Amino acid sequence: MMRRYFKGYEPGYHFWTAYLFILPALAIYGVFVFWPILQTVRYSLFEWNGLDTPQFVGFSNYVDLYHDEIFRVAFQNNLTFILFYTAFPIIIALFLTAILTRRKIFGLTFFRAGLFLPYVMSMVVVGVVWRWIYNPIFGPLNEFLEMVGLESWKRAWLGDFDLALPAVGVIGTWVQYGFCLVLFIAGVQRIEEELYDAAKIDGANEFRQLWHITLPALRSEIAVAMVTTLISALRVFDLVYVTTRGLPGNKTMVVSFHLYQNAFEQHKVGYAASIAVTLTSVILFISFLIIQWRKRVEENV
Amino acid sequence: MKNALRLITILALLIAALPTVTASQAQEDVTLVVWDINARDVENEVADTLAQEFEEAHPGVTVDRVAKSLDDLKATTGLALASDDGPDVVQVNQGLSDMGTFVKSGLLLDLTPYAEQYGWVEKLSPGIVARNSFTADGAVFGEGNLYGVPPLAEMVGVFYNRDLFNEMGLTIPTTFDEFEALLDTVVQQGMAPIVFGNLDGWPGIHTYSEIQNAYIDRTYLDDFVFGRSEVGFNTPENLQAAEKLVNWVDKGYFTEFFEGVGYDDSWGLFADGLGPMMITGSWLSGELANLGSADTFGFFLVPPAEAGQPKMSVGGTSLAYGIRASSGNADLAAEYIDWMMSARAAELWVAAGFIPVQPVDASLVEEGTLFGDLVNAWTWLNANDAVGHYIDWATPTFYNTITASLQELMAKEITPQEFVEKLDADYQEYLASK
Repeated sequence: MMRRYFKGYEPGYHFWTAYLFILPALAIYGVFVFWPILQTVRYSLFEWNGLDTPQFVGFSNYVDLYHDEIFRVAFQNNLTFILFYTAFPIIIALFLTAILTRRKIFGLTFFRAGLFLPYVMSMVVVGVVWRWIYNPIFGPLNEFLEMVGLESWKRAWLGDFDLALPAVGVIGTWVQYGFCLVLFIAGVQRIEEELYDAAKIDGANEFRQLWHITLPALRSEIAVAMVTTLISALRVFDLVYVTTRGLPGNKTMVVSFHLYQNAFEQHKVGYAASIAVTLTSVILFISFLIIQWRKRVEENV
Repeated sequence: MKNALRLITILALLIAALPTVTASQAQEDVTLVVWDINARDVENEVADTLAQEFEEAHPGVTVDRVAKSLDDLKATTGLALASDDGPDVVQVNQGLSDMGTFVKSGLLLDLTPYAEQYGWVEKLSPGIVARNSFTADGAVFGEGNLYGVPPLAEMVGVFYNRDLFNEMGLTIPTTFDEFEALLDTVVQQGMAPIVFGNLDGWPGIHTYSEIQNAYIDRTYLDDFVFGRSEVGFNTPENLQAAEKLVNWVDKGYFTEFFEGVGYDDSWGLFADGLGPMMITGSWLSGELANLGSADTFGFFLVPPAEAGQPKMSVGGTSLAYGIRASSGNADLAAEYIDWMMSARAAELWVAAGFIPVQPVDASLVEEGTLFGDLVNAWTWLNANDAVGHYIDWATPTFYNTITASLQELMAKEITPQEFVEKLDADYQEYLASK
């Protein structure tokens, strides 16, 4: 194949021209992405406060990280966030897709836009709004509970040791499902209508149609949604920064906020770099697994 | 004899030459770059006026003032101090993680000679001098050279709502027992006495410290914050204070669901009259005075165990003016700092509703107003060397540890004993790493 492609051209010539075209983008990418990543990896081997001469310490930052209790809690919280950022949004979005695409609903475009809105909003705005919703004294959530006579259900929400993490997680779900929804709706539009017609003739109900036609057809969309939302769940920072700052206790601490505190509040740049490297490796590994899974599923079709 | 004569002549010549040197320096056009924290409207106006008057008094000198927010200033100061064209004068955050780091890296100028020349030390109480001091290698906090001079004061105490106090028939307590009795009275009248919101974590530090200060003395607090004399956090007094705090939670002294209320919301609720008192810092005075009239709210310090004792209150100062070590205009920079510490500066700050760190002329302050209460409280603290420390300065990680642990303590996730042990572990780890 390759040989035939190059046949009739001077070998090598076009090759270099291509690189020339890529060069500007590559240079920018190198300076702003590759180089900083390499620097971060290097810093993670040093003890450094960001100002003095860094002291080489080998892998001791990673050893400390292994024994860091807050890091462990933070990592567990990130895993919990996968439930709220990936699992719930995908399930909700599939459900909504089934409703929105299989029935004629008046004002459908309006609903679609509305449901997508949370994803477009700035995370800071989302956080501030939800902090207000959760405010135990004048927030609408507790006021609603009081109104319907569920006074005993009132809680301090973001300040409650058992509920803080799910409370922040719910915000994540609210933000992420819109993204999944748009992906899935676009995917469904590719499915040929005949498939559904055939299924209907065979007597399949709506649920069976969803299970046997929609779901398999949306495999690649689901994989994309999984990769993106999983990455969001693992690197979540802004939401926690705005709502709880890892509090109460360390109940909502996440890895990237722990990283931030080390780098910018405690001036432990080397240690923070080792957190960054670890987090990036985990994200790369999990993304790799999902992509492999997707490939295998597609080969089986 | 001849040698002595020659020496005197040389000295005389030198002395004669000195004023000409400074004079010629002043005649050259010099730009003094100043980074400060006066970014909000009112502060900015005061700082601008002072800078302008400084320029008028020093022909040829231009002050290039850059006002920055705290976050911005904290994030950029380190690199700016390391650069050769960084600011000459910059406001630096006290404590180990900022000022300590800069001193260790040799980025700040030792201000001790200037402090003697201009008499800055007389304007500050010893406790405040200490917290702007480090040894030259940055290793020991609280002694050695002076690296910063703060212009403004802040302190933590009890803001109260005068109307609610009158309605409930409350009077300002003079002992800690009286204060607790007062809190009980309010609870009996069906209200949570202390408006409190601890979602952000840090307000709890001030509440705990105000109780803690009723049990501990100055020596212990200094030793603890400056990392001296091998003291720890696991002491009977600190344990007692932690038990007292939990006791206050149980007795309903704090706003219901305080653990889920943010700080800004909490003082908004206090201003709205949700409760008669709030324990927080004087930095709220401007906002509260704006919301009501000058005498809607009042302020008193959390009282000592026995009336009249010099009980400490958490307090401090604004960020301190320091000079970049590599600045070519160090003398002029010191003159600028002195300008910021002048009586004129104090007068302008008082007029704008801020408390200067130096003693304030009583004629400038109106009694019976919130601001009058604050200035009186500060004058008393400064005169009695009773300005207590922010305990979260003790180690670089203490802030994060204590905010998390206090929330755990108040939610009863941990016991008071576990609380003091947790903080002690943080502290001992730091001592060992020093």
